[in-house]
Amino acid sequence: MQFFLGGLIARIRSSRALFVLTLLGVALGVASVLSIQILNRSALGAFQGSVRAVGGEADLTVSPRGPFLPEECFPRILGQSGVASAWPVIRSQVALQGKEPIFLELVGLDLFAPRRIPWKSPPREFSQALSVPGWVAVTPTLAERMGWTVGQGFAVTLGSRRLRLQVGALVDFQKLAPLASSRLVVLDIAQAQTLLARPGEIDQVEIRLKPGANAAKTADRIRAAVGELAKVETPEERRDQAQELLGAFRLNLTALSLISLFVGAFLVYSSTLASLVRRRAEFGLMRSLGAMRGQVFRIIVGEVLLLGGLGVALGIPLGYAAARANMGSVSATLSNLYLLEEVESLKVSPATLALAALLGIGGALLGALAPAIEMSRKDHRTLLTGSTLRPVAGTTARPIFLAGVLLLGGVALWYAGPGHRWKPGGFILGIAVLLALPLIAPVVLGSGTGRLRVQSFSFAYGARSLSRSLGITSVAVAALAVAVCMLVGITVMIGSFRRTLELWIGSTIRADVYVSSESWSRSRGQAGLDPQTLETLATRDEVRSMDRLRQTFTECGGRRVSVIGVDMGLSGGESRFVLMEGRPREALRRARESGAILVGEPLARKGGWKVGDRLPIRTPFGEESLTISGIYFDYGSVQGSVAMDLAKFEKMFGQGPINTVALYMKPGADSERLVDQLLTALPDRGLQIRSNRALRDRILSIFEETFAVTRLLQAMSLIIAACGITLTLLVLAQERISELALYRALGASRPQIFRVFLGKGMALAVFGIGMGSAGGLVLALILVYGINRAYFGWTLALHFPTLALAGEALLLFSAAMLASLYPAVRASRTPATELSRDDL
Amino acid sequence: MTISRKLLRALLAGIVSLLCAVAWRAVKPGYAWAFPRDHWAHPEFRTEWWYFTGILQDVANPEQRFGYQFTLFRVGLLPEKPNLNSRWATRHLLMGHAAVGDFGTGRHHFSDLLYREIPMLSGFGTYPEARIAWSLAPAGTVGSWELMWNGEAFDFRMRDDERGMAGDLSTHPQKPLVFQGPGGISRKGAEDEVASFYYSFTRLATLGTLALGGRTMSVRGVSWMDHEFSTSQLQKDQVGWDWFAMRLIDGRDLMLYVLRHSSGGADFRRGTLVSAAGEARFLTAGEWSIRSTSTWESPHTGCRYPSGWALEVPAEDLELEIEPILQDQENVCRRSANLHYWEGAVRLLSKGRTPAGEGYVELTGYGKNNRPPL
Repeated sequence: MQFFLGGLIARIRSSRALFVLTLLGVALGVASVLSIQILNRSALGAFQGSVRAVGGEADLTVSPRGPFLPEECFPRILGQSGVASAWPVIRSQVALQGKEPIFLELVGLDLFAPRRIPWKSPPREFSQALSVPGWVAVTPTLAERMGWTVGQGFAVTLGSRRLRLQVGALVDFQKLAPLASSRLVVLDIAQAQTLLARPGEIDQVEIRLKPGANAAKTADRIRAAVGELAKVETPEERRDQAQELLGAFRLNLTALSLISLFVGAFLVYSSTLASLVRRRAEFGLMRSLGAMRGQVFRIIVGEVLLLGGLGVALGIPLGYAAARANMGSVSATLSNLYLLEEVESLKVSPATLALAALLGIGGALLGALAPAIEMSRKDHRTLLTGSTLRPVAGTTARPIFLAGVLLLGGVALWYAGPGHRWKPGGFILGIAVLLALPLIAPVVLGSGTGRLRVQSFSFAYGARSLSRSLGITSVAVAALAVAVCMLVGITVMIGSFRRTLELWIGSTIRADVYVSSESWSRSRGQAGLDPQTLETLATRDEVRSMDRLRQTFTECGGRRVSVIGVDMGLSGGESRFVLMEGRPREALRRARESGAILVGEPLARKGGWKVGDRLPIRTPFGEESLTISGIYFDYGSVQGSVAMDLAKFEKMFGQGPINTVALYMKPGADSERLVDQLLTALPDRGLQIRSNRALRDRILSIFEETFAVTRLLQAMSLIIAACGITLTLLVLAQERISELALYRALGASRPQIFRVFLGKGMALAVFGIGMGSAGGLVLALILVYGINRAYFGWTLALHFPTLALAGEALLLFSAAMLASLYPAVRASRTPATELSRDDL
Repeated sequence: MTISRKLLRALLAGIVSLLCAVAWRAVKPGYAWAFPRDHWAHPEFRTEWWYFTGILQDVANPEQRFGYQFTLFRVGLLPEKPNLNSRWATRHLLMGHAAVGDFGTGRHHFSDLLYREIPMLSGFGTYPEARIAWSLAPAGTVGSWELMWNGEAFDFRMRDDERGMAGDLSTHPQKPLVFQGPGGISRKGAEDEVASFYYSFTRLATLGTLALGGRTMSVRGVSWMDHEFSTSQLQKDQVGWDWFAMRLIDGRDLMLYVLRHSSGGADFRRGTLVSAAGEARFLTAGEWSIRSTSTWESPHTGCRYPSGWALEVPAEDLELEIEPILQDQENVCRRSANLHYWEGAVRLLSKGRTPAGEGYVELTGYGKNNRPPL
């Protein structure tokens, strides 16, 4: 052990750069996987935490299939055999005024029903929950953050309505569920229905079962009692739904993080190899002094384990920091795109840490296994004579290449056949592309560099010499290629997405000024604009016409989606919908005249709906099937949406407030000025008044926020790939030390050797970037046409962001050059005295 | 603090207390009783209950005997209905307790419910509709708990499928209604307004069905009914009460109560003796004495209750031993946090331990933080 540790420390001292690079590689690989895992779990945890905090330890939840549950169904649920207790819940998000609005989730409960509420500071008189207007209980965290004390009042807005609330008690939901939102605000259901202007409506009923009651049978009885109004789910089913909803998002991140680890494992492999090459003679000596093969093997494995352990120890805080830095953007994506809970705190479970440790140490071991075995098998003479280490890749390049081609060809054929109908099929094909790259790398690199014409002892000589150590060089090229492939694939996908979104915004966002409320982004249909505000807007001199929109959420064809009602007869209003199926004028005319509907692409794709089909839509009064007259591009939600004429909407869902309006101005009027004037004229109503440009900017900033994590992972992969190039060249410098000494002895100058090594670096970069770009283009096609459609239901127009791609290529090439500089300098400094007798 | 501020505070306190006093009606002499109207709810008072206790026997197997309790409480939250646009807006809660002690098996069964008074969950009727109070049955049970006026007394029913309990009983009076204090006012302490309006039917012939553990029986027996409403039942320094309702074999009935002081001793005592003919005589504290002879510790709550008493009413030549028929007759509420009390059937023994009658005893406010919120 002492020998092992002493030797290890000495080796770290003698090759600090190598050690740091290797450690960085493992740590980055671990960090990227860990950060994504933490974010993934925290996102689900936030959802579950708030479910648990509000629902207690509910065994079943009854949720509406229409926009809400009529409260009359509550007694029917309560009486069913197997039910031990049940609580009605009504909820809505309101905006707390401030620089950046904070959204509070109002949760109306029957505070007099028997249930456990984790009071921190209970109300002095429970009856105040009914008698004090706006009485609410807030979490201690929120009270502390806002500086509130019991008895203090504050204002929030719901739509354009201002609600006055008063802190009546403190309730510590985080005691029940640590990940529960601190923004939960509890009030009595009677106050909630009044404040939200929703008498008679509830959003869910939480049910606790008797001990030993059969959940499935009780759920059946409840279904029979409430009829088609509601669905009854277990917490597991609700979690699964959230998981399914977030599935695409989570899978996307997980896949990216695994690719980072994949690249990281290459790095570990390269570094282990490098370490072994350096110590070839040392192992030879050990063997000739009587060390057994097993002992050598154990020393190598022990070192790799230690390296993996250190990498994990460094990667865990790094991963946590990365997760912390990205919490905001993930949280924004969840609430903007999925209308789910925001993530307020991170959940790091022992299982997540164990996974990180397993991936880090396991990855390192896996990377080192083959070279360790090979090294321990070589006899001591071979090791001592300094013949170069030529791992398997050199001799088995062709079979490996064939395996790569077969893998990619086979999976591509499968995908073209049945595979594309299976949702994760696109991912399988994508992974096949990424796996094929390293498999074909040795042959591509070998035949590519081997054919180079060498006219002088310079760059080309360096590049050509790569083919002589394919075992090492092809690994570096493969690592770079995988990272570049991912980078290019994602860059093209994001570019296509952004371009599509820009085109879509360009044709649909046509009005001059858009008015909604701060709470609309969370409460949607519940956040209404009051008639006085609408009147003020409509009667402005500058305003030519006003487009009104109402929204609700209900079950359409078995999926809960957004339904909007707009004036389909608005002159020039066809531009609001870019149709992918159906003729715009005709579709809107049918919507206006015969109550037809337009369906958003994600819903159409997921439900298989086509123009002419009749889509069943649940209303508070039953179910009605409407004919689809058009299918429109819709990048606003993952679940999809349905649009109908406002008059039809009111017939189906009853009277209700308008949620947002768009103002079309008379020619020559200044929209920015109107926005300023309206903001002054309509103060304290929590209104969001944006000009056309501001709204477009806002949509694009939401888009950028959504892809922030993806970009972080891209950056991590790139750093890993750059580390890989440096490491590979260092290995080459080490492996070729006697050769370099010979060159020096034969008269090669330092600049010549420097150029040779820079040539090697350039060749590695060119091949890595070239192969990666080719793979990346294929990956981009798969992402745009396969994965996005399957998971999000969005059609994206393929767009190559040329500038971004060229910039990335330049950056990568520069990074590779920079990464080559240090090894090149080191190589050029090799003295002729390194030449041993054996080398001659 | 400046004088004006003090004055302002005093003024505010005065206004608040005035508002409170106006809000809930206090128990004061001169109440104009009107029956049967007064059998229904009195929402101007904060608290009200209809209490039935009795001993029943299986008609088919008279050896099989049961003690029972059925109580509906009106718990006032606010003197006036809050001005809210919601059907959940309420000013009352309805709490229901039902217990059956099976003397044969020695088991005590208890069911409780708590709902806000809103049309879909529970309510209190108004004279002359037959229904006095009702609520949905506890969660998991279809049906309702109801208390009805049948023209001469009360019908009531309850059901709790989870506990395997159900009862449907009809009563008619064997003795007329009696007031439990002068003018129907039952004082609970030295302060005048700490009192309730309180009357009883001490003997109600009872017939009906009782279901327990899946077996439904026709039962008959005798019940005692109390109807009490008030705004303030306990003084600040009182923690609970011991209440005794006893039917003697000689036809007399005796109701006694002891309000206990937080220091542990008796704070205020009164009683009523009802003759065989139904005439009430109110007993002052000096006319009777009672002492506990034993205690029982609850395995459910850890609470120690008195369990067995020696009673003397010298002027009536009464010396009785009071013994619980079952030790464990503790009601532990599942739906009202921290509420548990002992309410059970007792046997009365005279000198030489000869049977002298039966009755019910209620012990509240025992244990930590268990003062009834009255």
